[in-house]
Amino acid sequence: MKRPLIILIGAVVLGAAIFTGSFYASQRATVACCVKPADDLDWLRTEFYLSDAEMTHIRELHEGYLPQCAEMCAKIAAKKGELESIPGTGTNLTAEAQAKLNEIAALRAQCQAQMLQHFIAVSQAMPPEQGQRYLAEMKQLTLGTNELMEQSMSDHAGHEHGTN
Amino acid sequence: MKENHNPAFDPQVSALLRAARGAPTLPPRFEQNVWRRIEAAEAPAAPAAWLDALARLILRPRFAVAATAVLLLAGISAGALEGRQLARHDAQINYLASVVPHALR
Repeated sequence: MKRPLIILIGAVVLGAAIFTGSFYASQRATVACCVKPADDLDWLRTEFYLSDAEMTHIRELHEGYLPQCAEMCAKIAAKKGELESIPGTGTNLTAEAQAKLNEIAALRAQCQAQMLQHFIAVSQAMPPEQGQRYLAEMKQLTLGTNELMEQSMSDHAGHEHGTN
Repeated sequence: MKENHNPAFDPQVSALLRAARGAPTLPPRFEQNVWRRIEAAEAPAAPAAWLDALARLILRPRFAVAATAVLLLAGISAGALEGRQLARHDAQINYLASVVPHALR
């Protein structure tokens, strides 16, 4: 009675080990083979089946966009520095601090518009169907998270109003 | 010599006794019930036999090789699929990190 049970348990354990081992080995090998961390645009090529010519065009757009993006980030960082240097912001929101916050918000909006413009330009460099898919996915990935956050905040605010 | 008068040894008496002993009446389905009880009594031995047969099958080299091959193949396929998803996700994160400004994250 005992020996067959031990054999069965041993077989199950061995089988699980074989499956798990081969699963993780294969998973790691696939990730190591398919991810090219040096190339930021690798995802576009594989996900949207782009040709070399399309990739070259998109790479130019990407490299043109990066300095604009960096410039905008620097402006926002500078404004944040100015906001932090305003005295009294630790306890009260002064008019000056409010103005800085508005400027930061305006810069962020400008930055977001520039980013969306870049996505539109990239989508136009792709075959139409892939371009639409790319644009939809990028909007969902970049704006969707903000919308979710705003949605959750408004839901939360709603609950608070409901309790008062 | 004294004669044996024990009536049990008398063939005539024995015949009369046999004739007088009527056949007992058995309850209905007596035989079926007996077999059913015998089967029920033997039932606990069945799992051990089943386990024994399975253990014997596992120990057969042909079965062991086939099972190992199937498990390896299944593991490699599932790992490759999962790895592709992970690689796609990592590549997507890399791209997003390069195009979405830090100020907007």
